[in-house]
Amino acid sequence: MAINFNPDISSMISKAAELKTQGVAEVQNKGNFGKAITGYLQDVNDQQDQANTSITELLSGKNKDINSVVASVAKADMSFKLLVGVRNKLVQAYQETMKMQI
Amino acid sequence: MEINSFGPIDIAVSGLKAFGRQMEIVSSNVANARTTDAGNGEPYRRLEAIFKTSTDGISGVELDDVAEDMSDFEKMLSPGSPGADAGGYVSMPNVQLPTELINLNLASRGYQANAAILKRYQKMVESSLELLK
Repeated sequence: MAINFNPDISSMISKAAELKTQGVAEVQNKGNFGKAITGYLQDVNDQQDQANTSITELLSGKNKDINSVVASVAKADMSFKLLVGVRNKLVQAYQETMKMQI
Repeated sequence: MEINSFGPIDIAVSGLKAFGRQMEIVSSNVANARTTDAGNGEPYRRLEAIFKTSTDGISGVELDDVAEDMSDFEKMLSPGSPGADAGGYVSMPNVQLPTELINLNLASRGYQANAAILKRYQKMVESSLELLK
């Protein structure tokens, strides 16, 4: 079960930088950053589902290996924490923007 | 080389699994320390876990084989026993309890060490995520 996951958000940041350099019209057409976030959200959701399934399988006696459950829960937890971190940062950025004097 | 943040988790969990299996083998040896009939006309033969790396280079561990200890069985003088030979000796398993207790300690410490790595790695990732704030 190899889930490749890159904790540095540099790929996202580079996408954001890419958007910045493109024109506004292009941004609306492509929405790269939104896609990146949606994709990551989907990944995290899948991992949570997987962790849930493994817990259910352990409790129902289908799977007797507690260590696989520990692994999938640890991974889901890690990814979720990253997602929450990114989300908080986004909200913070939004609030900063709203506070801006026009 | 591709960065995989789940690498340490997978490796530590493979260690947990491997030492868990070793614990299983030690418990089999201890439970059968006095088993004179293993089903093949011989007493129980002591088992030993043999580990191997899962892949080349940085890698987890997996159980390669469960090998039988081919050392001689112990002879115990017990003339009244139904399994005794002409001289009154009974073959007993080649399990040495002190050895098994050492292996028990090794398995338990190894398990703890892998669990500690898993825990510490989670802390490391958390401190990385702190930087987002």
